[in-house]
Amino acid sequence: MIPLGRYNLLIARSAGNPGWWKYAVAVLAGIGVLWWAAIGSQVSFSELGKGMPWIADFLGRMLPPNWEFMGKLVKPAIETVQIALWGTLLAVILAVPLCFFAARNISPNVAVFHAMRQVLNITRGINEIILALIFVAAVGLGPFPGVLALALHGAGMLGKFFAESIEEIDQGPIEALRATGAGPIQTIIFGVIPQVVTAWIGVIVYRFETNLRQATVLGMVGAGGIGFELVGSMKLFQYQDTATCILVIVVMVMTADYLSTRLRGWIQQGAR
Amino acid sequence: MIEIRGLCKRYGDFTALHRVDLTVAKGEFVVILGASGAGKSTLLRCINHLAEPSEGEIHVDGERSRGDRAGLRKVRRDVAMIFQHYNVVPRLSVLKNVLTGRLGSMPALLSWFQVFPAKDIAIARECLRRVELDPKADLRTDTLSGGQKQRVGIARALAQKPKVILADEPVASLDPKTSRKVLNYLKQASRQDGITVICNLHQVDYAREFAQRVIGVAAGRIVFEGRPDELTDEVLHLIYPGGVEEGTDAAAAGAEPETATPSVPAAALHAAPARTAPQLAMEQS
Repeated sequence: MIPLGRYNLLIARSAGNPGWWKYAVAVLAGIGVLWWAAIGSQVSFSELGKGMPWIADFLGRMLPPNWEFMGKLVKPAIETVQIALWGTLLAVILAVPLCFFAARNISPNVAVFHAMRQVLNITRGINEIILALIFVAAVGLGPFPGVLALALHGAGMLGKFFAESIEEIDQGPIEALRATGAGPIQTIIFGVIPQVVTAWIGVIVYRFETNLRQATVLGMVGAGGIGFELVGSMKLFQYQDTATCILVIVVMVMTADYLSTRLRGWIQQGAR
Repeated sequence: MIEIRGLCKRYGDFTALHRVDLTVAKGEFVVILGASGAGKSTLLRCINHLAEPSEGEIHVDGERSRGDRAGLRKVRRDVAMIFQHYNVVPRLSVLKNVLTGRLGSMPALLSWFQVFPAKDIAIARECLRRVELDPKADLRTDTLSGGQKQRVGIARALAQKPKVILADEPVASLDPKTSRKVLNYLKQASRQDGITVICNLHQVDYAREFAQRVIGVAAGRIVFEGRPDELTDEVLHLIYPGGVEEGTDAAAAGAEPETATPSVPAAALHAAPARTAPQLAMEQS
């Protein structure tokens, strides 16, 4: 406590005097790590300064956006939504049977629980773009590999969230159902699902929003959707077309964000 | 109806039940009294294998109950349970909650798709009528009050058409008026349907009012067994060691269950000199 006239400065101080040199070492170590990272990532503000005219030039070439190009973007934009829709649906279908094994309180045994958690971690750990590259190689160019990439990554994310919401439920009704002689699947259907369904719908809506955002860039690796047009226009140096693509993507993402927020708010209100 | 022999339940190093023997007749209404942590809940939960007994045998309706899959299904179909916190599923309708009592005896595959035999729905409605909740059948269960939820819990237990109902402190969260109502439904079930009821309580008054027989449990052992009118101060002192009185006597009281045989004959307890109220008050201070 340090008195400041009528006021006191209250700050937590470690017991004993650690010595000024310990602080000095900590600060120097911090600076060292940042310096090391800056070298590795070639952070250079002078380069950024030198590049400014080029960025301005690039932006200048993008303006004004080519509104004519909008007509050609309708179909890819719709395709993007379609990819997101099926990516989400397949992710849900994959995640639902897995999540019960990944929930500590429902899982039949500890080994299955840990194994399933790792399966979900792995599918969730691989980025959608990387998955899309793999699926493009496997099933060829087009929107379908995009759907598969979103489905696999989404299953990992949804499975984890579903399992966590199962772990938060009230165990009492589950115990009561077991005590009536209900089987394990009956216990899940009548005891678990009614308790988690609104949380699940909220997560699914959020996942759809994320999938839509991801689907706009999947085209960059040839997995369909509006990203394909974006990369194509850049390769042809049609920067005014690129600007139109970016604008359409921004509008799509904002709309998805708005609708998903409203929908989740509405579901949570209805749940009360 | 229920015969328990040498039942032990251990949790790690802690022994919750020490070689408990208990026999309950068909249609009997038995109340188990005991302090928190005395082992009453564990005793009930061993009967339907929500807790797996460490040692000993439990026979329900002449058949030894087993903890394997088939054994569990059999014993849990015959034995219904009522919980302190009702344990109804909040987002299901009242009727569906009662129907979950029938899950053990209906085709599982149909139930997964929410298809129920008309016979089972009729049973569920009849059980709701018995606890006077039939007008609420289609409401969501989380819109009900605590007492009403417990009545749903009773209807669910009745819908099971059980031979035994285990009630684990069914009225601990309810006001006195609602408590009497709930206990009356249980009493009715035992009288009219011949269902054996074993009910954990911690209110001595209700035990006196509703029980045909009272079992006292302390520190994992049965320390009293007798009629409700035999619940004297000495008996309560045995059941609640250190709880009735504080001070010098508490240590002796705590030791009593250790030396006592699993079941103290009620006559022997009567022979002990009765304490007068002023004496009790003095010992408490």
